[in-house]
This record gives sequence, C-alpha cells and structure tokens, in this order.
Amino acid sequence: MGAVRRVYVAGVGMTKVDKHTETSLRDLAAEAAFKALDEVGNEKPEAVVVGNMLSSLIEQENLAALIADHIGLRGVCGLKVEGACGSGGVAVLAGYSMIASGLYDRVLVIGVEKLLERPTPDTLRGLAYAADADYELIYGVSFAGLNALIMRYYMSKYDVRREELALWSVIMHQNGAKNPYAQLRNEITLETVLSSPVVADPIRLYDACPLSDGAAAVYITSEDWKKVSDTPILVAGVGNAVDSPDLSSRVSLDEFYASRISAEKALRTAKLDIKDIDVAEIHDAYTITAAVSLESIGFAEKGKAAKLWSEGRFRPGDKPTINPSGGLKSRGHPVGATGVYQVVEVAMQLRGDFPGVSVPSEIGLTQNIGGVGSNVTTIVLRR
Amino acid sequence: MTTIQRIWRIKNTLLRLLSTRCLDCGFVAYPPKASCPKCGSRRLIKEELPKIGEVLSYTVINVPLRGFEEFTPLIICLIKLGEAKVLAELVDVKPGNVHIGMKVMATLRRSAKTLDGVIPYVVKFRPLSLGSS
Repeated sequence: MGAVRRVYVAGVGMTKVDKHTETSLRDLAAEAAFKALDEVGNEKPEAVVVGNMLSSLIEQENLAALIADHIGLRGVCGLKVEGACGSGGVAVLAGYSMIASGLYDRVLVIGVEKLLERPTPDTLRGLAYAADADYELIYGVSFAGLNALIMRYYMSKYDVRREELALWSVIMHQNGAKNPYAQLRNEITLETVLSSPVVADPIRLYDACPLSDGAAAVYITSEDWKKVSDTPILVAGVGNAVDSPDLSSRVSLDEFYASRISAEKALRTAKLDIKDIDVAEIHDAYTITAAVSLESIGFAEKGKAAKLWSEGRFRPGDKPTINPSGGLKSRGHPVGATGVYQVVEVAMQLRGDFPGVSVPSEIGLTQNIGGVGSNVTTIVLRR
Repeated sequence: MTTIQRIWRIKNTLLRLLSTRCLDCGFVAYPPKASCPKCGSRRLIKEELPKIGEVLSYTVINVPLRGFEEFTPLIICLIKLGEAKVLAELVDVKPGNVHIGMKVMATLRRSAKTLDGVIPYVVKFRPLSLGSS
C-alpha cells in the first residue's frame, strides 16, 4: 500500500439491535446517522457510503440515494457497498479509502439491515446467497449448514468438545446483558445452549446469532477535519481479503484464510503487533466462527481458542478482551450493519464512553466476515 | 431452488463432476475455476473427478432452504474425491449412521423443483457399502 492520508473516526451512532417492526429501513439509518452527525456539530459530509446485504428482500435498492435524501443530504456523493454479512466492514473500508486517497475529507458511513421484515424462510434463503449458488445452494444447504460442516471438521481434527464451544455463547450473553444496544440481553447457561433445538447438526440454535434489525454510523474525516470532534480516534490500519465463497475448493477447512490475511494487512498498515490489541470485536456468527476467527486473526493457536476461553481468557479484564458488546451472539447481527457496529463499539471503548462492559484501552481491532470467511475486513483503531 | 437455465448451463460439470487441474502447480479445484486458486495460472484443464470418495465432514439439516422440505433431514457432506473436495447431499443412509471417513459413491438423483417448476437431476452420494445404511 502506498502513502495514504490519515483517517479519523470523529462521530459515531447506533440504534438498539432489535426487531424494529415500527421503524423503516430509512428511519433506522437516520437514527444512527443523526447521532453520528450530532457528535460532529452536524458538519455536512461530502459523501455517504451505505453498507447493506439484503435490502432487496424488502424490495428496496438504491440505498445511498434513499438514505442521503431522507437525512437532508441531496447532492452529496453516495454509494452502496456489499460484501455479504461483511458489508459493513467493506463500507467503512470504502469510506476510509475516499479520505485516505484525498478525494474527500468528510464521509458518513452507514450500515443498515432489516432481516425481520420478511418471514424467516425468506430471510434465511437471502443469507444463503453469500454461498455458491451453482454448486452449494443447489443442494438446499443453509448458511448454518455450511458452518456446521466447518464445526464438525474442526471438533474432530482438534478433539474439541461440544461443551467447550457452547461456553462462548454463555460468555457473550454475560457481556451483552450489560449492553443497552444489544438484542439478547438475557444471561444463559451451558444447558440453555446444549438443550436448544438442533438447526444443522452440530449447530444448535444458541450456537447461532439471532436475526436482527439495526443501523450504525461512523463519521470519518481527514487529519484537517478531525477538529470537528473532541475525541477523534485514529483508523490506524485497514485490511480486507477474499476467499472462495464455496467451501469445497478451499485449501484449508480449519482456518479462515481471508481472516488471517486481512488481519495481517491491517496490523501491517498500523505498524502494530497482534499482542498490542487491548480490545476486539470479532464476527462470532456461530460459536465455531468465534473459535476459527480468534485463531485465524492470531489471538489463539490453531485448535486452542475454546480451551483458552474455557480457562477464562478473552473476558473483561483480560488483554485482549473480546466482544465486550456481546458480539453477534448477543448484541445481534443486522448483517450489513454489523461491521459498522463493531467500529462504533471499539471507538467508544477507546474514547471511554461505551455504555456496556467497559475496557480501558489504547488500541482496538474489529473483524467483520462475509460468507463463511470469504470476505473479511479487519480494522485497527488507536486512541 | 434454482432455474432451468442454471441447471442446463452447469449440467456437464455437475453430473460428471468436472474439476479444473492447474497445468502449472497441479492444484485441483471443484467447483471449476477460470484461474487456479492457488497460483493464479490460467493454464487449466478440465478433469473428471473419481466417483468414489470419503466423507470429510457432514451436517444434518433440520431447517433446509425453502423448497427442500421433502429432503429433510437433509444430510450435506464435504467429500474427498481424489485430490479435490465436493459438497453434496448424502442419501440412502440414516443420519445416525453417517461418520467421518465413510466411503461413498456418486449417484444420480432427483432434486427440488426449479423456480420454473422443472424437476432437475443432480449428483448426490450414497454409502459405498449398503450394509452401512
């Protein structure tokens, strides 16, 4: 990567992740956007970047125009970015690139998704579009089913017990219970996970994140414009990598290649080491996703993640603390918004005003995944 | 659920299990790719995969995609076929009898109706030894 301009997170906003029956997609986006804009004295952005995966489910595309118009920003540059469940992360990356390149100084990035507007089978079908339609969906396999293939392979290869993986959900619900923006704020036990219905064996309902509605926004600026905020947070590094959407042509089934490469790129641009990270928000769509992500990013050795969290690692008070928000499991997963939520949450941790589990920290990391590890964005933030 | 066009377009690949082998690094990819996923070379040849292999991983799906309800519980496997891996449905076996390492062979079976209402046939797999069903 050549020389780029520095980029700052100057303002953040998010809605509670929930089933927002009474609120439209555009109003969810507006709520998050206005919070971020209010933090920067309503300084008008030059561009709006929208992250979204499945608005076609609710028969609406052209989201940048829809949302920019709705929030009083006719005339600005607008575009939508899609990378399956990793759409939010790639939207932040696109906004970052606009500023780093010198094209703009002020960009508003909004992630928004409404998954609960349609009957569940329709939404599950839409989510499966992240996989290979020709060679995977033709067999009727669900997105949970694809992750279940990874889970069984991993458990067998590394002799990891079901209970060890299930514990992740318990920890996430403990964190999420304290997060006022989280969707599932109930604490659960190991028994809750182990006795929940089987979705795609070995994945049970409580191994999985919920379906969610929500929106999050970050107002990012160049060095010259970071003054619009009292507490600008440096975007120290970004990295994205893709892998095959299909599982069968992967070289390795027990790691997310794109997760590893994107984390390496982000840390390299930030000139930091994985050991420097104080807090991280990672993409735990399923308990197995948490384990493979932690290992692919470099927070744990292969096959060891669940052992580490069983021993008490990654919880509040540890370095790194992982998913103080409750993660996808408890905060929820409004897919195209999730990557933006993660940046909002980590920026607030660094500023010291995250309203849930607070982690005193200087350096934070987010990782947002599209597909089963096929489009991954890692972002490093620094106070 | 798919379309007539898609089934027609990929019928050779799907029914004969056509992979791509890289003439430069030897990597075998299924589904076939336009360039080698490992080294990027475009010097690829189509190569039919063996029809007998073994289960690398499997899942039993109680909530399949809409349209596949009649196949529930749906057993989906990652199968090692020669130097490649293939994702496909496993049939003629009870979910409790599937195991990693199980020997399976390709077979032609009916799939869910396409969006256009046509009944397509696809490659599925069944246990090599009928005693294990």
